[in-house]
Amino acid sequence: MSIKIALAGNPNCGKTTMFNDLTGSSQYVGNWPGVTVEKKEGKLRDHKDVRIVDLPGIYSLSPYTLEEVVSRDFLLGERPDAIINIVDATNIERNLYLTTQLAEAGIPMVIALNMMDIVKKSGDRIDAQKLAAAFGCPVVETSALKGVGSMEVANRAIMLAQKGAHTPPQHNFSRVVEDALEAIGDQISQQVKPELMRWYTIKLFERDEKVGDYFTLSSDIKQRIDDIIADCEKQLDDDSESIITNERYEYIRQLIQNCVHKKRPGMTLSDKIDRVVTNRWLALPIFAAVMWLVYYVSVTSLGTIVTDWTNDVLFGGYITEWATAGLAAVGAAPWLEGLIVDGIIGGVGAVLGFVPQMFILFFFLSILEDCGYMARVAFIMDRIFRKFGLSGKSFIPMLISSGCGVPGIMATRTIENEKDRKMTIMVTTFIPCGAKLPIIALIAGALFPEASWVAPSMYFLGIAMVILSGIILKKTRLFAGDPAPFVMELPQYHFPAPKGVFIHMWERGKAFIIKAGTVIFVACGVIWFLSSFGFANGNFGMVEESQSLLAAVGSFIAPIFAPLGFGTWQAAVATVTGLVAKENVVSTFGVLFGLGEATEEDPMLLQSVAGMFTMVSAYSFMVFNMLCAPCFAAIGAIKREMGGWKWTGITLAYQTGLAYVMAFIINQLGSVIFLGKGFGMGAVLGCVCIIAILWLMFRSYNPNRNIPVKTVQQVN
Amino acid sequence: MANLEGGIIIMPLTFAPQGTINKIKQIKGKDDTRRFLGELGFTIGGDVTVVAEMGGNMIVNVKDARIAISKSMANRIMV
Repeated sequence: MSIKIALAGNPNCGKTTMFNDLTGSSQYVGNWPGVTVEKKEGKLRDHKDVRIVDLPGIYSLSPYTLEEVVSRDFLLGERPDAIINIVDATNIERNLYLTTQLAEAGIPMVIALNMMDIVKKSGDRIDAQKLAAAFGCPVVETSALKGVGSMEVANRAIMLAQKGAHTPPQHNFSRVVEDALEAIGDQISQQVKPELMRWYTIKLFERDEKVGDYFTLSSDIKQRIDDIIADCEKQLDDDSESIITNERYEYIRQLIQNCVHKKRPGMTLSDKIDRVVTNRWLALPIFAAVMWLVYYVSVTSLGTIVTDWTNDVLFGGYITEWATAGLAAVGAAPWLEGLIVDGIIGGVGAVLGFVPQMFILFFFLSILEDCGYMARVAFIMDRIFRKFGLSGKSFIPMLISSGCGVPGIMATRTIENEKDRKMTIMVTTFIPCGAKLPIIALIAGALFPEASWVAPSMYFLGIAMVILSGIILKKTRLFAGDPAPFVMELPQYHFPAPKGVFIHMWERGKAFIIKAGTVIFVACGVIWFLSSFGFANGNFGMVEESQSLLAAVGSFIAPIFAPLGFGTWQAAVATVTGLVAKENVVSTFGVLFGLGEATEEDPMLLQSVAGMFTMVSAYSFMVFNMLCAPCFAAIGAIKREMGGWKWTGITLAYQTGLAYVMAFIINQLGSVIFLGKGFGMGAVLGCVCIIAILWLMFRSYNPNRNIPVKTVQQVN
Repeated sequence: MANLEGGIIIMPLTFAPQGTINKIKQIKGKDDTRRFLGELGFTIGGDVTVVAEMGGNMIVNVKDARIAISKSMANRIMV
C-alpha cells in the first residue's frame, strides 16, 4: 500500500531539515522563513512505498498567500494519509495556532516537537504527554538538525495512516462561538463528510473566500448562515475572522499553562545580539564591514592564492603538460591537440580555476545565513529599500542571487505584492552571482592587483543599481505605488552547524562544477573551433586567430562596445558568450589567450587580459557584464516568474540598457579623469547621461494622476 | 499623542520604549492586515516587547517569536 505523508508547519520551523533527514535528499535549507515556496516530494528512506511531501511554511490555512494556497489545496484536494505537524518548541504558542487548524482537516496527525534540544538547554520544560492528550494525537520530541526523532515521527505517522484513524479535533472555543458553529453545521450536514465538518463550519463562519470552491449552498442556506455569523459578531463585538483567531489563541494559552513550564529569562541571547547588530547607528556599518571582509578574504587575499595556484600551477602547468605529452605520445593530430589543450583545458580550466574562490565565498555566505544574520539584514535594509520603493523582503532574493540568479528570481515568490515582486525580479540579477565572480576575480587580478576595493565595489555597485532602479522605476506608471508593509519573522541566532554550512557551500558550488563539465565544456569547444578555423585565401581551414570566424563575428559586434572602451573582437565575443553562462566570459579569454601556454612564472591569462584593457575600460567591461542581461538559465527563470515574454522583454531591455549607460559613463568620464584624455564629445554625452539619470530619479511624479493607488493607511 | 479611551491610555507601538512589556489593546487597519498580524501572534490582550528599533521599523518579541515589522505596521498596533 502506498502512503502519502505531508510535512506541515510554520515557516522556518525545520520542515525541510526533517524532510532531508527522512528522505536522505539535500534540499535547500535556509535560516529564514519562506525558503520552500513549492511543495517537494521524496521517498522515505528504506520505505519505497512511503512518499513524503514537504509543504511550504505557513502560519495558517487561510487562503491569502501563495504558500497557504499550495498547502491548503494539497491537504484538502489530495488528502494525504497522514500529516506530520512540525512544531518549533521554542516558539510553541504561535506554532500551535496552525496545529489547531491542521487538526480540523480530518487527517491523522502526528506532532513533532522540534528543537527540543534548545528548549531543554534553556531550562524550560514541555509536557509532551499532556500535549498529546489535549490534541488526541501522538507527540514526539525531535531535533531535526541533529537527526533525533525524525524516524520515530515517520513510523508513528505510518502506523496512523495504516489504521486510517482520523484525529478528531479536540480543541473547543467559548460557548457563544461553539453554538454558532453548531448551528452552521446543522445547515450543511447533508453535504459534508463528518471528518470535515469542523473544518467547513469554521471556514464558513470565517467567511472564507475559497470555501465555495468545494461545494455550493442554496441562497436560502447562505442567508441563514449569514444571520448566524452576524448574530455572533454582534454578541462578541468583533468580526468573525478575528473571533476565531482570538478563540484559537485563548485555547492555546490555557493549554500552555498546563503543559509548558518556562523559566522567565529577561532577554535571550538573540535579543541581546539584535540590540547590537540592528542598532540604529551601528547596523549599516556592521553590515558593510561584514560584506567587505567576506569579499576581501574570498576574492582578494585568500582567494587569489588558491586561484593563482589552480590556474597557473594546476591547469596551466601540470594538466597542460600531461595532456600535451600524452597526446604527443599517442600521435594525435595537431587540431585535436589544439581542441583539447587550448579549447577544453584552456576554457574549462579558466572557469574551474575560480571554483576554490567561489567555495570560499559560499562558505562565508552560508555561515552568515545559517547563524541567522542574513534575515536581520532584510530588516536593516528595509529602512533603506523602502525609501527607494522596495521592501526589505526584496533583499532575500538578492541575497540568494549572490549565489545564483535562478533561485534568487524564484525566491521573489515570497513577496506578496505583485509590483514589488516584478520590480525585484528586474533588479535582483544586478547582484553579482557566483558565475560573475570569475569575471570580477579575473579583472581585479589582472588590472587591479593592489586595489582591495575593486571586488567589493562590484557588490556595492549591484546594491547601488538596485536602489537607483528602484527610484527610477517607481516613478514610471508600471510600478507606481507604495511597497507593501514589511512583516517578517526573524529566526533565533544559533551557532552555524558545520554540516549544514558545508552542505550549503557544496550545493551552491556543485552547480558550477556541473556547468563547467557540460555547458561550458561544449561552449569552449565551439569557441575554439570558431577561433581556429576560418577562410583564408579562399579556402576553409585552420587559420590565424585574427582571421578566424570568431574574429569576423566579433569584429562585427565590437563597434557596439567601442564607446564603452572594450571594442576589441575578443571582449565582444566574451560578452556575448556570457549569455550562455557568465563563466563563459572568462573561459572565452582562456581559449583565446591560451591558458594552456601559461607557466608558473608567467601567468599568461592575467597578462594577456591586462594587455587588452586599460584600468578604466576593464572596469567598464566588468560593470557591463555585471549588469547586462543575465545568462539563459536566469532569463528562463525571469520568463517563468514574469509569466510571459512582454515583461521578460522589458526586464532584459532595462538591464542591458542600464548596463550600457553605466559602462559608457564610466569609460568616457573615467578616461578623462584617470587617463588624461581630452574632454570631448564622449565625455559630454557621458555628462548628459548622468543628468538624464538624475532627472529620472528626482523628477516629481504623481502616480495618482493616472491610476488610483491604494495607499497604506497611516494611523497616527 | 496619547489619548484617553475608556480611561486607559493607549498609544501606537512605535511610541513604546525598548525593553518594556506592553499589552496589545487594539489593532487597527484593513481586515487582511489585522488577520495577518493576528496569525503571527499579535492578539488583543497579548504581550509585546520591543527588542530593537530602527527609524520606526521594529523588532518585537511576541509569543516568543521575534518579528520584524515596518513602521506603518507598528503604528497600527495600539498598546
